[in-house]
Order: sequence, then C-alpha cells, then structure tokens
Amino acid sequence: MSDIHLDQNVLASLLDVMGEEYPVLLDTFLIDSEERQRHIHEAMAAADAQALRLAAHSFKGSCSNMGAPMLAGLCKQLEEAARRERLDEAPTLVEQIGREFAIVRILLKSERQRYR
Amino acid sequence: MSGRLSILIAEDSAADRMLLSTIVSRQGHRVLTASNGLEAVALFEQERPQLVLMDALMPVMDGFEASRRIKESAGEQLVPIIFLTSLTENEALVRCLEVGDDFLAKPYNQIILQAKISAMDRLRRLQQVVLQQRDLIAKHNEHLLTEQRVAKAVFDKVAHSGCLSAANIRYLQSPFALFNGDLLLAAFKPSGGMHVLLGDFTGHGLPAAIGAMPLAEVFYGMTAKGFSMAEILREMNAKLKRILPVGVFCCATMLNLSFQRRVVEVWNGGLPDGHLLRVASGERVPLVSRHLPLGVLEPTAFNEAYEVHPLLPGDRIFLLSDGVLETHGASGQLFGEERLLEVFAAGHSPERLFDEIQAALAAFRGEAQDDISMIELSMVEDGLLARPALAFSDSGQSSPLDWSVSFEFRAEALKRFNPLPFLLQLLMEVRGLRAQGGALYTVMAELYSNALEHGVLGLDSRLKSDAQGFARYYRERGQRLQALSEGFVRFSLDVVPEAGGGGCLRIRVEDSGKGFDVARALDRPQDKECLSGRGMRLIRQLTHHCQWSPDGRGAQVEFRWPA
Amino acid sequence: MAITAMPSGDGQELTIHIQGRFDFSAHQEFRDAYERVSTTPKRYVVDLKGATYLDSSALGMLLLLRDHAGGDHARISLVNCNPDVRKILSISNFEQLFQIG
Repeated sequence: MSDIHLDQNVLASLLDVMGEEYPVLLDTFLIDSEERQRHIHEAMAAADAQALRLAAHSFKGSCSNMGAPMLAGLCKQLEEAARRERLDEAPTLVEQIGREFAIVRILLKSERQRYR
Repeated sequence: MSGRLSILIAEDSAADRMLLSTIVSRQGHRVLTASNGLEAVALFEQERPQLVLMDALMPVMDGFEASRRIKESAGEQLVPIIFLTSLTENEALVRCLEVGDDFLAKPYNQIILQAKISAMDRLRRLQQVVLQQRDLIAKHNEHLLTEQRVAKAVFDKVAHSGCLSAANIRYLQSPFALFNGDLLLAAFKPSGGMHVLLGDFTGHGLPAAIGAMPLAEVFYGMTAKGFSMAEILREMNAKLKRILPVGVFCCATMLNLSFQRRVVEVWNGGLPDGHLLRVASGERVPLVSRHLPLGVLEPTAFNEAYEVHPLLPGDRIFLLSDGVLETHGASGQLFGEERLLEVFAAGHSPERLFDEIQAALAAFRGEAQDDISMIELSMVEDGLLARPALAFSDSGQSSPLDWSVSFEFRAEALKRFNPLPFLLQLLMEVRGLRAQGGALYTVMAELYSNALEHGVLGLDSRLKSDAQGFARYYRERGQRLQALSEGFVRFSLDVVPEAGGGGCLRIRVEDSGKGFDVARALDRPQDKECLSGRGMRLIRQLTHHCQWSPDGRGAQVEFRWPA
Repeated sequence: MAITAMPSGDGQELTIHIQGRFDFSAHQEFRDAYERVSTTPKRYVVDLKGATYLDSSALGMLLLLRDHAGGDHARISLVNCNPDVRKILSISNFEQLFQIG
C-alpha cells in the first residue's frame, strides 16, 4: 500500500486541467468528503454492509482522482470488508480513514492557500 | 477532435463530477450533469445528448439501470455509454460492457478519455450512416414496388385483353410473375380458334418484364387481325431482336388451337417439353423445344416451322415454365422432369391432372408455389366457347358501301404472304359486316386454304384421315409450297347496297388447280372421325348463299346484312 | 462462383473455366474474363466441367460472349458439360449457335 498522503504529480495535472477552477475543485472535494464520511458512519451505525460498501467505493473513487492514494487504499479495504460482510473490521478502518483524511485535509488546505 | 458533442455526465461524487465536466468541456463539448441515475434518465429524455459518461454505482438509481433505460429510450440511434468505474472485478467490468459500450477507470486520464470519446463518436456516426442507408434502401425498395405495381397495372390491361378466362383454359401464375420474366397470353382468332403463348424472359425484375409489353402487343394485335401463328412468331422474334439487348431473350411455346379443324400447331423455342395427352388412348406426346428462343436470331435466320397434332375433344395440352422443373425440395434437390412424368403416368383422370401436378409440387416443396407458370388447354367441340365480339377502334361512320375489287395472288406471293388479314381489314371497313367478322374470317380462311391446298398445291384431303396421314399432309403442304413456281388464287370482292338500307357482299375465289368433283365432295357422308371435309359444310352453314363452280375451280359465297 | 480465363500459349485461344453455379451473380466476373485479356483470341472455349448449374441468365451471358467474339462469325465451344447443363443447352437449342462437346 502506498504511503503517500498526497501525490504532487496528480495535483499538478489537476491544476493543469482545472486552471482557475483548481481551488474550487479542492473545496468541493473537502466538502464532499465530509459528506462521504458521514455516509460511512451512518451505514456502520445501521450495520448496513451494502450501504457501507457503496459509500466506501464512492469515496475511494474521488480519493484516487484527487491524488490521495493512502486514503483511497483505506477506502478500498473498507469496501472489501463490507463486501465480505466483515462489519467487525469496519470500526478500525473507519477510524484510520478519519485520521488519514485529517492529514489530507491539512495538506489540501495549505495547497489551497497558494491559490487565493 | 471530431466535432462538438453534447455529453451527459452522471456521477454522484461532486468533485469527480466537477473534474470530469471540466475535462470534457475543455475538449470542446457541451456538458450536462446529473448526480444519480434517475436524474440522468430524465435529463437524457429532455436534452437527447449524443454520448453518456456514467458512474456505475450511484444512489437512487445505479448506472446499470439508468443505462438500460437510456438505451431503450434511444431506440435505433446509438447513444454510446462509457462507464466510469473504480470497480476492478472482471464480472463488474463485463456487466459495464453488457449495458454500456466501454468503460473508463478512475483515476481519470484525460488523454484516454478523449480517445474513447472520439472512438465512440465514430461508432455513433457509423450507426447513423447505417440507419440512413437502411432507410434509403427501404425507400428505394418501396419506390420500386410502387413502380412495379404501376407497371403491372398497365401490363394487366394489355394482358387481360386476352382470353385466359375461357372455359377450356386453366392456369396458374403468380401475381408478380411478370417480374420473374414469365408471360402467359391467350387470344381468340377471328376464325374462332385460339392462340396461346407461354414465355419466359431471361433474368428477373424490370429487365425481364420489359420485353413483355411489345411481345403482348404483337401477339394480340396480329392475332386479332387474323395473322397466322408463323407470321406472329416471325414478327415477335424480329421485334425482340431489335429492341432487346444481346443476352436478353424469351424462351417461349406458342400454340395455335383450331377447334373447327381439331388440330394444334406447336412451336417451342427454349421452354421445357409441353405435354399433349390423348384422352382416348392415354398416350402422351411431348411438345419438344426445336428452336432457339425468341429474340436471339436475326429475322432472316429465324425458323417458324411448327408441328401439327390432331386433337379430339377432351384431349389436353400442358405447358409449364422451367420454374416448375426447378422447384426446390426441402433438401435442395430439384423437382425435375422425372417427377412430373410420374404424375402424368400415375393414371389420374385427365380433369384431375392440373390439380395433381400442383399437389405434387406443393408436397415436394412443402409450401405454396409463387414462382411458376403453368397452363392447361382442353380441346372442345367447335362453337362451345363463348367469345367476345371483335372490337374496333373507329366509329364505323365512314362505311364504304358500293364497290368491287379483285386480287390475284401468284406463286411467289402464295409462298410468303398471307392475304387473309389484309382482305379482312379491308372488309371490316364495311360497318354492316363487323357483326359477322368471325364468320367472315372463317369462311375466307376455308375458301383460301381449299383453293391453295387442294387447288394450287393439289393435295388430297383424304390423306388427313388418320394421325400419321395428317402429319404427312402438312409435310407435303410445306414442300409443295416451297417448290411452287406457278399458280394463283384470285379473290373478287363485290359490296353492293340493297334497297331498304342493308347490303350484300359477294366473294368469289378462283384457283389455278385441276378442280374437283363438286357433287361427290358434297355428297360425302358426315363422318365425325374424319379429320377433314368439314370445310365445305362449314361454309354452307355460315354464309347466306354459296355455290361451287361445276369444274371445282371456284366458289362464290354471299353475306348479307340488314339496315 | 469462380471464373478464370486462360489464354493458350500462342494467344489464339482463350479458355474460360466456370466453377460452381453459373447464374446472374456471375455476370460481371464472366464479362471480365473475356474483356480483360490483352490478347485477341480467334477461338473461345468455355469449360463447364465445374459448373453445377446453369440458368437462363447464363445463356444470356453466353450470347454476350458470342456477340463479343463476332456474332455469327464467333468460334466458341462449350466443353465438359454435365448432363443437366447439356439438357438446358439443348432445350434452348444452343447447339445452333455454339459447338457443344
């Protein structure tokens, strides 16, 4: 598993694609990510493996697009666990996702600062 | 870059949606976005985008269901759907390709995305072209069918001026046989006999049908005017040779059926054997092709020689197109002549044969026939068939009423020229004679053949007392006519008005022959089995007055008509 | 359907081989066989050994070849006809126009 929190190459190509919209994309991702994690928590609380799998899958997709490979990797593990209906593995993974997201968020916020 | 497209993006993650829209619109396309499957379907129906990028897993309605609905709504149009997915299991990717057309894995690579959009656009345009061409072909085909219907309607008008509905005819022909190149014509002759032609043009479709019209026109026009079968054949061949391209021709069998003389003359150029069935003996005589088809040979090389067969009432003639013999069975073999002959040999009663042949074909093929032509003709007693009055195109107002004229036809003319249509045309200018056109023609034909055959050529009619002698008689006739160097047949026509408004036609026929014993010929007992000798009695029945000159070298008859 | 044309060594004769069904679908191929030869043969041979079937369109094509080869002066023989093919040729009395062997 990758130990990179935020891939600078990916960010560079996103900047290239988005141009002026680049900071808006970062904001959108951060807001959307809060939403995704809320879905993950709800699904876990409801012990709904299918919903958990879907939420993890969806979050994994955006994380990979935004150049957060470690976060994407953790989402993938959660998706796999949910697919196998191993809800007992979920709390640990969800906690790890929360911690990793906190790091990514700080990094993205500082990235965001550069484009005011 | 292949033109600006309108592209629908369905993706539930806001960041991914934003990223993708930006990539796609930077590539020059118009972007529509939806955040779940249901929205995507609604937006598709409203905006009709040309291409869809579809996230596989979405809340409310997933990408698979949304794709299914979009494809259904798009109908025949190809709206390519590219699945956006971070799914990795083979099964899931296969499913993407089952409902969609391609997939793109996350994270997105904009180069790959652009290439995929272009590839899908090419596929979409290809489908459009295919649909357009299909519609164009359908339109052309419909157009062609309309043309064929019109052509058929026009042709039917010509073809139906004939007498295929006569009581002694049964036939089978597909409604669109014309476009298989098949042609079936039948017409009464002015003398009461019948001409029949079964033709089969090379090829199919319009090229095959194109020669049918001139052929039918010659057939009907010349038959109505009293021309002989040989003359009609010669003219049909010359006309087809002149107008058809090399390689297009008409295989044909033509029959001249005389109820009064109880004979059939047969000319077959290129059609399969026809069949003559004698009801009394059960004998079957094949009517074999002895000539090249019509429209192949130059007029000078054309051979109109025909065979003559005596017939008795109840005898039947069958003509068939090669479609009958080439009917395919279930396992691909052909019906063939053997199977047809088996039907003939199976001992069915004659009136069942037509149905039995059809039944055998249907059983062999296992379905209804639609590409064959077949006709059955029966010999019947003279005078049994109801036939339409002669038709005239003018009003008959300018009717000449007081004149006489005389023609002498000498050896060279007798060899090559049939004076009867020419004389009949002249007499039909007299309005009062038109109602008796058939009788007039019959009498003139009898007088002429008597004068030519028994007078000028010196043939003995007693030869015709049996089938063998019959053939010999006609062979002799041909040889003597060919060798003729002197002799004549003279017609004198005298039309006079009568007091009270009617009139009278006197026809006098003289020949250069030795004459015959008039008294003895008239005394000869009426023998039903005799194949000749009806001529003189017929003339007596049909005219108002007739007499033979005592030396047997001439005859005079009268036709009268009322005011 | 395969049609091949083979000129003789001296170029005086062109042999056209017909393989399979000889019907309208062979129209263009048959024409090409005698029109696209560099030599001007004096005689033509149509070898029907491999022809399984022959219809009236094929008869028309043979007439076209005859026309191409000089009409009444054409020298064309049809060889190796199987009984079915020979029957069709004889019904149409094509022996009056072609040498049939």
